[in-house]
Amino acid sequence: MSGITSAAPAKIAATMDPIFRQIRDLVYKVCGIFQLEEKLYLMADACGRRMKQLGVNTPNEYWQLLTAGPNREAEMRQLLNEVTIGETCLFRSQAQLDALRKVILPELIADKSKQIVKRLRIWSAGCSTGEEPYTLAMNMLEETDHLLKGWKIEILATDLNDRSVETAKKGIYGDYALRSTSEYYKRKYFSVLGEKKLEVRPEVKNLINFSRLNLQDDSRMLFMKGMDLIFCCNVLIYFDGPSKAKVINHYYSNLNFGGYFFLGTSESLLKLNESFRLVHFPGTIGYWKPSLKSGKL
Amino acid sequence: MITSVTETIRERVKAIETTPAIPTIFLPLLELLNLAPERVKLDEVVKLVSYDNTIAAQCLRAASSPLFGLAKAPESIKGAIITLGLRRVQTILLTCCLGNAFPTGDWVLDPIVFWRHSLGCAMICQKFSNKLTSSDGEKAYMAGLLHDIGFLVNCMAFPKEFGVAAALAAREQIPLDEAERASMGFTHCETGRALAENWHIADDMVQVIAHHHAPEESEAAQPLVALVHLSDMLCRVRGMGYGYYERHRVDIMGDPAWGILLKEHKELEGVDLARFTFELDEAIPGVFELVSTIFGGTKKA
Repeated sequence: MSGITSAAPAKIAATMDPIFRQIRDLVYKVCGIFQLEEKLYLMADACGRRMKQLGVNTPNEYWQLLTAGPNREAEMRQLLNEVTIGETCLFRSQAQLDALRKVILPELIADKSKQIVKRLRIWSAGCSTGEEPYTLAMNMLEETDHLLKGWKIEILATDLNDRSVETAKKGIYGDYALRSTSEYYKRKYFSVLGEKKLEVRPEVKNLINFSRLNLQDDSRMLFMKGMDLIFCCNVLIYFDGPSKAKVINHYYSNLNFGGYFFLGTSESLLKLNESFRLVHFPGTIGYWKPSLKSGKL
Repeated sequence: MITSVTETIRERVKAIETTPAIPTIFLPLLELLNLAPERVKLDEVVKLVSYDNTIAAQCLRAASSPLFGLAKAPESIKGAIITLGLRRVQTILLTCCLGNAFPTGDWVLDPIVFWRHSLGCAMICQKFSNKLTSSDGEKAYMAGLLHDIGFLVNCMAFPKEFGVAAALAAREQIPLDEAERASMGFTHCETGRALAENWHIADDMVQVIAHHHAPEESEAAQPLVALVHLSDMLCRVRGMGYGYYERHRVDIMGDPAWGILLKEHKELEGVDLARFTFELDEAIPGVFELVSTIFGGTKKA
């Protein structure tokens, strides 16, 4: 059996120290984030910044610190911070939004149309400073005259960090956070605040309920029931294996049958939960809690 | 009624067979591929390729694609065979031949988009096959490359009818085979099968071409057909579809094809499907590059 050599990597990746590829694989094993070959330079940059801060001279020395150093777990968290830095923005994953509006919403609406209360519940778990829940809210508002006519939408946005939650409630963003937001959405759902700042309009804010929540607080997690969709991007990467498995089990219970769970675009569940089913949509993957009628629980 | 449709397909396919665009070495090469690997002689392939300089040159260029594993283009077909192996070179040759087999005129489908899908599917089939023990990666590649050959038949033999189906698919964002069935009453699976049978392609490949949308209906080679079915779906959700958004969710592990493969390959249970998906993304630029090398053009899928 012959194998195709992996990929068509950027030429830079080919000249890179092979240790960075090893670190990429270690990061995937530990937290489920996969850095594509063509973006391996980002991993190398992140390692470079950590190496500089630590005064480490070679990638090999850094590899030793990550795998055999006394503070390897703390160092891995630091590295993950560097890897995911600057990823947060509104409209971060168009493929997820397309899947949501073009595939998932029609399916959920059809499934739930016979219910007396026409309500959809969405949870942005680990919402940071609000970019994700606002993006979801705007996309839901776009559907209120079509698919979601007559439906009540509730978006719950939680984060561990009080300050992040307070910032999120304000809904004020600058150019960097808005770099993927189209003019259409800027005009329709934001007010100008001056100095290149835009503020989310009240009708968007009104869809969202922000609160502080520790995902490891079992008693509170048990009450987060009845969700149709859960988004949790680049949050679980900081959890160790058992904690992550526990949170994912909570998510599974929190979701209605037929509901969906999304991670970040390059994140995976690492087979930590066998009940969720990995499903593909154009350009993105998600996890599905099989519906009762599918008979595949 | 069914008979008349089948007859029409056969008649129109016969007309394609006589098209001068098919490289003369294509059908003999297919025959060689049907033979057991140990019966194919290096010299036979070299001699065959020497009849067509264009194909030979394309093959040497393609051999240096990241998909095929050589950093530098080999200087001769013989050199390529020694470095890459006979079966790999046959695969590359057939890829080039197939690209030349159909005139790149005014197709209903954008040829670049079509070849990206076919080569993308071939690549995924091979990578998928490599995850399984006792599975022939080259054969899987070939099956992926040929699976949608019926679309070429449709472009050439049923351009008007297929044009309506393709427009319907893009408008409704539904799979092309659904649109074909709805508007034409038959699909590329039937037209592809007619061409494959006419060309005397090996039966395993005929099964793939005829049943890759319903592997459970194939009469033979079910695991191979199932593998192509799953690879085709993955290919379409990872940016190598038919140039429009397909409004669907793909549940690989819930698909009957997964069950068919699992029966033969228990090791499938251990495959990390998410990671496999990310790895496929890495190979996509290589597919695009190869399509440009062989077929030219830079249009985006």
